[in-house]
Order: sequence, then C-alpha cells, then structure tokens
Amino acid sequence: VTFSFIWMILLTTATSPQTDVFLFIGTNFTATCVIQNTTEVTVDDLYWSLGLTPVPTELYTRINSTALNVTIPITRETPDWLFCSVKKSSPDVILNRSKYKHGILLQKGYLPVKPVNLSCMAVQKGAIISPVMVCEWESKQPQGGQFTTTYNLVVRVVGAEVNLSTFPHFMPMEIWVEATNELGTAESEHLNKDANSFVKTNPPSNVQVISEKTFTKSLLVNWTQPLAKVHLELTYEIRYCSDGCHQWDYVPSTEIDKNIHSFRLQDLTPYTVYITQVRCKNVHPGYGYWSEWSNNATKRTPEDRPTSKPDLWLSIDEDESNNERQVKLLVKEPKYSNGRIIRYDMKIQDLKEKDKSGADQWEKITVSEPEANSSSGHFTLLKQIHVADNTHLQVRVKAVNSVGKSPEATLVIPKKSHVLPPVRDLKVYPDWDKLMVMWNSTDPLEYEYVVEVSDGQQMDWQKEGQSVRKTAVRGYLEEFVRYNVSVYPIYRHGWIGKPARVEAYLRQGVPLDGPSVTSSKPGCFNAYLEWTDIPEHRRRGFITYYTIFYSDGNERHCTVPGNITSYTLKSLSRNTRYDVWITASTINGSVDGFNHSFHTLKYAPGEIEGIVVGVSLGFLFVVILTMLLCICKKDVIKENFWPQIPNPGESTIGNWSPDYPLKAETPNENCLSGISVLDVDVCDGKSVFEEDKASLPLKKDKYLSEEHSSGIGGSSCMSSPRQSVSDSDEGGDVADTTASTVQYSSVVASNGYKGQTPGSQSQQAVFSRSESTQPLLESEENPDTLASDGSRHCQRFPRQTNFTASEGNADFNQLEMEEQNGLRSLEFCPLVEDSEHMMPADGQSETWASAPASSYMPQLGGYRPQ
Amino acid sequence: MNCHVKSMYFQLFMDPAAAFLSLLLVLAVGSWTSVAAGRPQLCGNSVQQALKLTRLIQKESVDIIKTYKLSQGDMSELLCKVSVNNIPDPNISGLESSERIVSIYTHLQEFFPHFRRVYEQQTDLQLPSSPLLTDLETIDTRSRWLAVHIKDFYQSLFPNLPLPEPAGGATSLPPPQNVFQQKVYGCAVLKTFKEFLSNVSKELRTLKNSVCRRRVQTNMFF
Repeated sequence: VTFSFIWMILLTTATSPQTDVFLFIGTNFTATCVIQNTTEVTVDDLYWSLGLTPVPTELYTRINSTALNVTIPITRETPDWLFCSVKKSSPDVILNRSKYKHGILLQKGYLPVKPVNLSCMAVQKGAIISPVMVCEWESKQPQGGQFTTTYNLVVRVVGAEVNLSTFPHFMPMEIWVEATNELGTAESEHLNKDANSFVKTNPPSNVQVISEKTFTKSLLVNWTQPLAKVHLELTYEIRYCSDGCHQWDYVPSTEIDKNIHSFRLQDLTPYTVYITQVRCKNVHPGYGYWSEWSNNATKRTPEDRPTSKPDLWLSIDEDESNNERQVKLLVKEPKYSNGRIIRYDMKIQDLKEKDKSGADQWEKITVSEPEANSSSGHFTLLKQIHVADNTHLQVRVKAVNSVGKSPEATLVIPKKSHVLPPVRDLKVYPDWDKLMVMWNSTDPLEYEYVVEVSDGQQMDWQKEGQSVRKTAVRGYLEEFVRYNVSVYPIYRHGWIGKPARVEAYLRQGVPLDGPSVTSSKPGCFNAYLEWTDIPEHRRRGFITYYTIFYSDGNERHCTVPGNITSYTLKSLSRNTRYDVWITASTINGSVDGFNHSFHTLKYAPGEIEGIVVGVSLGFLFVVILTMLLCICKKDVIKENFWPQIPNPGESTIGNWSPDYPLKAETPNENCLSGISVLDVDVCDGKSVFEEDKASLPLKKDKYLSEEHSSGIGGSSCMSSPRQSVSDSDEGGDVADTTASTVQYSSVVASNGYKGQTPGSQSQQAVFSRSESTQPLLESEENPDTLASDGSRHCQRFPRQTNFTASEGNADFNQLEMEEQNGLRSLEFCPLVEDSEHMMPADGQSETWASAPASSYMPQLGGYRPQ
Repeated sequence: MNCHVKSMYFQLFMDPAAAFLSLLLVLAVGSWTSVAAGRPQLCGNSVQQALKLTRLIQKESVDIIKTYKLSQGDMSELLCKVSVNNIPDPNISGLESSERIVSIYTHLQEFFPHFRRVYEQQTDLQLPSSPLLTDLETIDTRSRWLAVHIKDFYQSLFPNLPLPEPAGGATSLPPPQNVFQQKVYGCAVLKTFKEFLSNVSKELRTLKNSVCRRRVQTNMFF
C-alpha cells in the first residue's frame, strides 16, 4: 500500500504554507509549486531539487502555466529538504532570490504499529489486591526514522471513574494500549474483563496436613485463603507426592469445590510421608492467574498392618561332600508393609514330619535396624540352615509391625532329586538403560517367577506374576559389570523349580586391560602361547575373540575365539625373533595387550640328537657292514692281503735244473723270501712313481697282475698260487693255442725286493729254464741284459700290457671284474712287445745294468711237467 | 415442567377458586415475561456483580466502623450510639422491583455527599497516613461503582423506564459541627450505610433468586 501526500509550495509569497511535513517511508510524496503574483517567471523556469540534487524532470508534471508538480518516492529514513527554485537569471530574480526559492523539510518515519498480546496482572499486597496493575504487550514497531513512538496504557472502569487507590473488584474494566507518533495512533485490542480477571493472589497460607490414626490411608489438608471471599471467589489445586518421588499427583479439579479451605486426601499408602502443596486462582475458568504454589506441607500417614506377604527368598550353596545344602533364608519387607517391620515370624518344617510336628512354634526374628539391612541389598538375612539333599523343607514367614501381621509367605525347598523343571528360552538383553529378561513357561503349574541378579558379590531378586514373561530388572545395575541373571519358577505352594541362568551386561564397553602373554614355548616353526584371561571386573563385556598379532618385521595376525587362552602359532621362521601381542575384543571395541617377544629355535628339539644318532647309526652300519663283509669275504681278503704263496717245493722246475737235483726245499726257501719282499714293494705306493698314484687301485691290480705275468707259461715265483694254478689249469689251453710257439722263460730280478741289498754278492744266481718252446731272445741269452729287462718288466710294463689287453672295453670296472673273474691269464705280458716299447733310457739302463747278476734268482724249480 | 403439570391439574379441577388462582398465575407469568424480555445476561453479570460488590462493601463497612472507632479515641462506642438526623434512610422503599431498585440507586446517591463530608472532617481529625482516610475513600469509590452496577442493572431490566436522578437539588448535609458532633456524625453515616448495604444485599439476593430462577425455568420450559 502506498500513500501520497500532496503539498503546495507557493512562490513569490512571503512564506510557504509549512516548512516541514511528516511522511512515512514507502509512500510517494507530491508537491506543487505555484507561481503567484508575478509574470517574471513561468513554469518552464522552475526546477525541483532534493537538497542539492536536482530532481529528474521525468518526475515533473506540469499542471498549467503557473503550477508544476513533482512526485518523489520516500525511501530513505534521513530527512531531506525539497526545494522549488527558478533557474532564470533575470535581475528581478537575482535581487529577490528568496522570493523565487522555497523549500520544505521532509521528515520520514513509520506509522505506529498496533501493540499485540496485551495482558495485565494485579497482584496481592497484604490483605487486598494492589490497585497497581502491571500490563505487558508486544510491539512490532519498525526501527528507524525520525519519529518516537509513545505508548499509553488506557484503563477504564466501565461507567465510572478510575480510582488508582482502590482495586475495582467486580467491576468491568476495559484496558488497551495506544501507540502514538507524529504519523498517527494505533490501538491494541481492548481487554474487556472483570477486574478480578487480572488478579493473581498470594498462595494459600498456613497449609497444614493432619494425620488421623483411624484413617490410615488419608490425610487432611488445611489452609488459609489468601484473600477474603468477598473480594474474590477462589478455586484451588492440590498436589501431593510421597517423599522422594519425582512426579506429583494432582487432585482432580472436579473434586475441589470453590472457596474451600480444607481437603482430605484419600487412597494414600499407610505409613508413607507425603508432601502437599496448594495454589489458588479466580474460580471462573479462564479468569485470573494461578498463584504460586504454597510451601510444602509434609506429613506421614498412620501405620497399618502389612497387607501383603513378605518377599521371601533364599540362596542355596551346594555341599556335595556332605550331601546337604547350605541355605540362607532372605526376606524383603512386604510391598505394602504399611509400617515399620519390627520382626519376622518364621517356621521351618520338614514336609515328611509336618503332620507329626504340627505344633512347632513360630520363631520370632527381631529386626532391630531394618533400614540398615535394606540399604545393603534391600533384604534381611533371616537364618542360615543346612538342608539334607533328600529333604523337602518348607519355610513360612510373616512380617510383623506395630499394628499386626502380614499374610504368610511360603517357600518349599525340594529334594535335590525332585527339583521341578526350569523355564525355557531364557533371554537377557539390554534395552536402553534397563536389562530385559524374557522366558517361556515350561509348566502351567508355575505360579510365579523369581528373577535373581548377581554380580558375584551382591545379589538381588524380584518376583513376577504368573502371566509375566518379560520384565525389566528393577534394581540398580551398573554398566560394564557382568551379571548372572537367573529365573526360578515357583510352583504352587511355594515349590522352587530349577533355575535357568544367563550372563549379561547392561552395557558392554572396551576392556580396561588387554591380555598378557604369560608364557611362550617357541619351537622351530611354531610357538605355543598362553595368556592370562582378563579379570572379570576389568573385562567390561563378553570377549568375542582374541586377535594375536605377531611380527618379525612383517606383521601378521590370527583370530581365535574368546573362550580360549592358549594358541600355537604356526608357519614361523626358524631362528627368528617375534614380537607378539594379543588384542581382546568385545562388541564395542578392542584393547591391545602387552608386547611379548620370543625367539624361534634354530634347531627343533631332538633334531641334533637325531642327526647324531643317524650319523652314528650310519657309521655303525657301515662298520658292521664292513665287518660282515670282511667276515663273509675273509677268504677273498685273505687272498688279497695274504695271498697263498705256492710252494716252490712243489714246483716241477726244480727237477728241470741239470746242475742241481730237483729238490723242492732249497729253491722254495729262496723263492719264498724273495716273493714276500716283492709283494710289499709292489703294493707300497711309495715305491711307485707319483704320477701313477691316481691309478693306484688299478696299478695294484696290475701289480698283482704283474705277479701273474711273471709266470707266463711257467711257474714264476712271483705268480700267485691261484694264478699259478689258473695258469696251470689254463696253461693247457694256452699251451694248446700256443703249442707251436716257443715258451718264454721268465726271470725275476731279485733286486726289486725292498730291503735287500741289490749288490749282495752272497746271493747265488739261480736260473730257471722255461718250458716254453719259443726260442729265447737275445736278452735271455745275455743274462745281464735279461736281468735288467726282467726287472723293469716286472715293475712297470704290465700296466701297458693291461691297457693293451683291454682294448675295446673302456669300462674299468668291468675290466677289474674281468680281471677278477679269471681272465687274468689273458693279461700275461707279451714281453717281446713290451720290451720294445718300454726300453728304458740310457741312464736308467746303466743303473739297471749295474746289478743284473745279483738280482736274478736261480730258478730252481723250473716248470712243472704239464 | 412443573408449571405445565399444574396447568393440566387446574384444567381438570376447574372451580371458582381455581379460576382465580389461574388468573393470578397468568398475570404473574405475564408480568415476569415483560420484565425478563429485556434483561440480557441479567443473572450472570449485573445482578451478581452488584450483589458481590455489595457484600464486599458491606464487609468493608464493618471493617471501617471498627477502624473508625479505633481512630476516634475514647468513648468511641458511645459516639456510635448517638442518633443523628439528616442522614439518608437505610430502608429501601417501593413495591415494585423497579421502584426498589430506583430506591437503592437514589439512596446510594444520597450517601455520597455524606461520605465526602465525613472524609473532609476526618482529614482534619486524623493524620494523613491514617488508614481510616484510605478506607473512607475506598468505601466511597466502591459505593459509586455499586451505583453504576445498579444503574446498569436497572437499565437492563427496564430499558424503557429512565432511571430518575435524585430529585430536589443537593442532598441536605448537616450544618457545621464541632469535633464531637463530627465524630458522632461520621459514625452514624457509616453505621447507616452499613445498614443500608445490608438491605441492598437482601434486596439484590431476592431479586436475583426470583428473576434468575425464573429465567432458568423458562429456559427449561422452552
């Protein structure tokens, strides 16, 4: 909505009609400049300016030849001068400039806004209502502008004058607020009410509560009205609560009459402290204000006899050794004790003997300090008894206060073998700040249930009715504490059933401590770990699993169930240091345990022993095998190491000598001594050239073969007996094949014997005659040369012969086997060929030649007749 | 409903006496109907408020008389036993309700100058801080407000009958008095006013019971 103000400015008059106008922001303002009493200027000579700023000509409106309008929007809050001036510069205008310029001050602001939410209150002062009323309202007046808004509170007593010294009880009043500034006035809504509608009295005074002994469930509340009824009719509101409660109970307003000064509270609990408060207001609904609440009035209701049974329960400890149970009888005060319980009357009976001893007296247990007992678990220990396992025991208890006795509570402890079945499907779970317990009934005869909660040190219980299948634990429970929750079915006549038990937490947290590895038994590739279970009070939840972290530089982990405290790590590396720590986890988090280190073994236990034993056994096996071999092959060994020397005495060559009679003994001695020495020399590596050591076994055989070869076609003293026999045996064949050939005689040089003095002149030269049909070589004809060649042949040449003989068969082993299998006869050296190839150097020849005569042994035996 | 049953009864047992009583009943109902026709919210507002205010002033008048006696010094009991002339009559006159209401209104108007005179006299006799002055002012103010209620009540009941203003110029006030006479006069005014309020209270209660109960019955009837 926009408003337009039209203002007129007259030029050439002495004064303008008004020098300032009040405008409200958001409207348009129209001013007219009129030329009067002059023809010096025309409308075309006029212009408008706002302060020093010319107004755009688009905002001008020419009315006629003497009047010019301008319309400007009022936007800013600051005041402005609007001028109508003449731009013509004629002498008259210059000399009378004041006549040709007029201005008005535009003062801007906002219209007053109607006050809202008007309310008034008259409070009590002394015995009367104060005539001073306090009124409140809300103003939504915009800020800014040049105008100040004032508020006037108008109070009118309808049809009469207002006397500010007297409150107008029972008079209609009209109250409103006027907001006023330069732009106008705005009124709030008018309050047309009876004057008492604005009254707020003092709260009722002298509130007293009276307890009457005959009314154990009632209290009488009295008070004094704050104001006389003739001033104001009052209604009251009463609220009360038992001591320590957090919620008030209100007496229904329909039960409270007006102008009363007492009220009887009913249906209260006997022997209970109640706090009562009262307040008042105008009796007419919606009129007046509630007074403040009165001060507390506290009173205890009278005592009455207990109207409910005491809460009897027990705690059973099994004693297997004595076949009895240790039972603690516990009791809580009846729910409706209605007074101070001063004692309990108890009777304990064996059901078998009940009929017999029906006149048993009630045992009176005085409760001297019930509050003290109840503060530590809210129950009282009545008695501790021992119950045999095969006994049904009935316990009956009554609570007694100063007025009377309660109904009787009964429990039956059944025989251990006759315990009735437990409830089914027990579940315990936290729900917000409570622990909920659910179960299902097993037997329709279950009469009630006992929910027992224990943290291991303290125990509490609560009883639930027959139809209850779900309840919340009512006692105070702490977070992060493990509780054993048991539900006992109680059958008719108090028979206690077998409990169902579950562990639960109200809220689980992260364990305070992690598990500590107590011992580790590292192996070579594994390690056995044991850790301590976290103490229950620091566990703060169910351990869902352990995570074992182990690291040798590369971290690995494995997860194990929360119910074990040892584990064997596998697939470890030997001789490696491992750091291990264990994390215990609950559903709400994990905590690390302490670090533990171990070193895996370099050798597994027994591994060294195994190696030693194995090696030892192997060695032993070899030794035994060798011994067995030696035993089994002792003949072979004997033949090899101690060859059987043919008896030269049996040689037929002895008979061959023309100069000496064929006598076996003589040449036999000579030959024997010579052969013994020869055998040692030939097999002694020291006597062999160094370059031949590598082929020592071969040489050995060959040397042995040399012995054989020494007797080609004859019975050389260097030949082995067998070979000699073989030679003899096969000699026929050879002889057959070589029947037409000349048999060679073999001469053995005696200087080849170690230890012998090659130059010994005492030795007598022996010559043996070969039976070979082959003509003798030149060397044979020359004994000196022959002796030298023969010596060389015996020691070295046979090797060459062997290689020659085994031509076409490269396998040395096979060669050896062949040698050992009787082919030795074929290895006899063809001396002719060898001698040609192995002719020694000249020097050697000289050496060899220096002792030919002494090295030859006389061949006494000669050839055995074939 | 009761009225209806009675009418049936009278029709069945018509005799001269019954006919006369029936005539009276019809007249009474007609008269009540003419009165009740112009009284919107009669019981709920003006009469009840006037009655409550009357009781309040009556109580305050009792209190003020005690205060007055305490503030007058010795022989205050004796002062209040002396009769004084030229004080408005505490009795309500008139046969019709309108007349009695007019009587109440007129008497109230007559008391106001006396209150003023007593206040002026006690202003001279008491300290400015005396509660008697405050109480006198209060009783005067409340009496004026009661007059407003009576006027509204009357105009509501009898919209076509103008409420006559007190006739005959100014109320006759006592001539100049000495202090004793002032004290006697003041107590007499207060006691007379208290008596008058008692009469007003009875009158309003009667009026309220008769008029308001009939109105309720009429509502039940229709």
